[in-house]
Amino acid sequence: MTTSNNRRPGRWRFAAAIGTAAALVLSGCGLNESDDSSGDKAGGGTVLRIGTTTDVSNFNPLQSLSKTDSWILNAMYPHLLRIDENAKKAPELAKDYSYEDGGKTAVFHLRDDFTWSDGKPVVAEDVKFSAEQIMKYKLGNVAAKLTWVTSVEAPDATTVKFKLSQPYAPFAEGVGFWMSIVPKHVFESAGDLSKFANDADWVGAGPFVLDSATKGQRYVMKRNEKYPLAPGGKAALSQVEYRIYPDVNTMMLALRNGDIDLMGTPVPASAAKTFENDDKIKLQKVGALGFAHLTYNMNNKDLAKQEVRQALSMAVDTKAIIASVLQGDAQQMAGPISPIFADYDNPEVQPYPFDPAGAKAKLSSAGYRDGDGDGLFDNLTLGVACDQSNANLTRVVQLFRESAAKAGIKLENQCVERNTFLSRTKNGEYDIDASQWGVFDNPMDQLRSTYLSSNPGGINYNLLKSPEMDGLINDAAATTDKDAFAEKIKNIDKVVHEQAYLTPLYVENFQFAYNASKFTGFVASPSDLLGMVTAYSLAQVKPAS
Amino acid sequence: MARFVLSRAVKAVLTIWIAITATFFLLRLLPGDPTTLMVEGDMTPEMQAALLKTYGLDRPLWEQYVSYLRELTQGNFGISFRQIQPVTDILVERLPWTLLLAGTAFVVTIAVGIPIGVYAAVHRGRWPDKVLQVLGIGGHALFVPSVAMLLLVYLGARLGWFPIGGAIDPDTRGAAAYASLAHHLVLPVLSLVLVQLGPYALTLRTNMIEVLGEDYIRAARARGLATRRRVWKHGLRNAILPALTLMGLQLGTLVGGAVLTETVFAYPGVGRLIFEAVGQRDYPVLQGAFIMLAVTVVIANSLTDLLYAVLNPRIRL
Repeated sequence: MTTSNNRRPGRWRFAAAIGTAAALVLSGCGLNESDDSSGDKAGGGTVLRIGTTTDVSNFNPLQSLSKTDSWILNAMYPHLLRIDENAKKAPELAKDYSYEDGGKTAVFHLRDDFTWSDGKPVVAEDVKFSAEQIMKYKLGNVAAKLTWVTSVEAPDATTVKFKLSQPYAPFAEGVGFWMSIVPKHVFESAGDLSKFANDADWVGAGPFVLDSATKGQRYVMKRNEKYPLAPGGKAALSQVEYRIYPDVNTMMLALRNGDIDLMGTPVPASAAKTFENDDKIKLQKVGALGFAHLTYNMNNKDLAKQEVRQALSMAVDTKAIIASVLQGDAQQMAGPISPIFADYDNPEVQPYPFDPAGAKAKLSSAGYRDGDGDGLFDNLTLGVACDQSNANLTRVVQLFRESAAKAGIKLENQCVERNTFLSRTKNGEYDIDASQWGVFDNPMDQLRSTYLSSNPGGINYNLLKSPEMDGLINDAAATTDKDAFAEKIKNIDKVVHEQAYLTPLYVENFQFAYNASKFTGFVASPSDLLGMVTAYSLAQVKPAS
Repeated sequence: MARFVLSRAVKAVLTIWIAITATFFLLRLLPGDPTTLMVEGDMTPEMQAALLKTYGLDRPLWEQYVSYLRELTQGNFGISFRQIQPVTDILVERLPWTLLLAGTAFVVTIAVGIPIGVYAAVHRGRWPDKVLQVLGIGGHALFVPSVAMLLLVYLGARLGWFPIGGAIDPDTRGAAAYASLAHHLVLPVLSLVLVQLGPYALTLRTNMIEVLGEDYIRAARARGLATRRRVWKHGLRNAILPALTLMGLQLGTLVGGAVLTETVFAYPGVGRLIFEAVGQRDYPVLQGAFIMLAVTVVIANSLTDLLYAVLNPRIRL
């Protein structure tokens, strides 16, 4: 018995030692892996370290839909066009584009000095292959933008022609901006590209090409020695390294501590002040390509009335919302076209004034009554749905409820978990939708998505079926003359505003933080999708001194 | 003993099967489908149908379930929706980090908790005991991410003693890599230990006080057995049994806590993988990760039961 008693603590020690050793050996696998995959050092060159929030979920740029993936993949796979700091399309791989056959053929002329990292030139066949594979396997969100394409031709190495079933004015801009170009000579051997992971031996033609990926830890990109859009023909940085910080507060600490040089994700408005006393850190402000809005479900008998929608628009104190929720860091909107698209912004359209008394009078004249004298109109209760995880919009809904009550309108807060919210909006199960559009790169795509009744894949949250709007949108879509096109967009802007199909709230400003004592030259693009982490921007960055 | 082991094994398998089934159906009961999150904005019905078909989500639920179980029996957790890679490969990459983190926190909690609990019991009513009682009760109120962020801000950022996030400095090699590994492990382990330690030591203290009042301990004292031997050898062996069960149960909490700790400390384990997969509604990865965690907890609990049975033969009766 005594012997046995003496042995037991020994067993425990043994078990503990085995457990610890096993854990260390297992984690040793991780160590070895990082040894193998980290590749060569920067060789004394300049390394820019960027904080990202999550691992790359998909290395296949034709399929990937993640914002954080695009920060890495867009630096590697060129696009025909990029978006500049004024939200205008600028040349990237394509020098220019034009329309032929009355708008039924879009022609891109490519530069001849883009080179894949294995030495082969980037040619029109690569563009043709990329587009055809997207159409064949319905890959990513670009597939919807190729809906009109009947065939793609590459008559020579630098010309690509997209034959369209009907003219669509913003086709070239949309496809040019969104579609990644992949190397045909590498991807064609993969077969079904919807099942191609592309997780090793990367070949790219951007300023940087992925060299190693240590899942959960970092992604190292090496400079492509030939990148024509960088000053001097190649990027000044020798290496770009992405490190993962899922928590934005941790990422901010890492920037302050010098572990990273740039935050890929925007700094929350409430936290931006914490960088004010740090001389090294600089904040760069960019506008959004989307906007926050209240959209009214036309299937609701009350919301189907123009007076009710207008009254609701008059019951939102947008200025107060911007001042309190966004701490002033946003621009108020009037019509459905963001002011960031200066060419299409209609100056005639002004926001509905915040006027609860006026809203009340409008509803009274529309026949609504307050029979019980509780200050609220009888039989006018509406639900406002939002994504609970969006702290800004949750507060917007709260403020909207309070201001609408002053106009006699009773609103119910129906903010729910994100997936439930997305599911409900998709099924039209809401009265008022308070949400934020992500990224619109051109007004036509936006109007088509949000108001065209025959667009089944759109985001027509109004559930609008208006022959008038359909006619206006289809007419503008087929107009390839730029001035005439802009006039038609401005007219739609006016109609939507008069009808008050939605109440646009604000265009948010995003702030990106970087270590200005070490790096300079970033070219920020609008939206949190692009921000400071675009191929063009990374190619312009250089050491600060 | 063989019958005991067999019954434990059957219970363990049954528990794991229930966990697999519950995970499978609960994920699919969530509103919407994964394609909702894949493409926000323009997604034609054809694109959605193609996505559902690619991932086998267009088939009846029972068919998906049977097929999933069949694949599982062959050790196949499926292919990640987002990463287009076998889930097994993804998990094998992440599991060692979680085992290292949770395992170290487990060992440290026991190693530190035992002496504290015993010391407080022996010196009952005096100030170390009172401090432990406050800390023990306070431990229940601590929230892992808050503790983790406090440690990061003060010990990581302000004092600069420990790294801000990550599991290792990727540029280190050999012995320096292991040193870096240990350095990065300190704060995440500390945040888990701080939350677990108080309640664990308090339980041990209570058990120890009870045991020290038993007749056989008093008899041992009467026989003139040294205090050290009486407390640490005879007392602890009996007092530790309930605390051991508590620790087995707390392992689940520890693994759950790792999800939050790994997110705050940017630690590359299964916990963070779950955090990311939830956001992307990546069913296969979530299923694989939950099953792996369930298996870990079930095995740990079964081992605790067995250890308990070895130490206390009455359990086997």
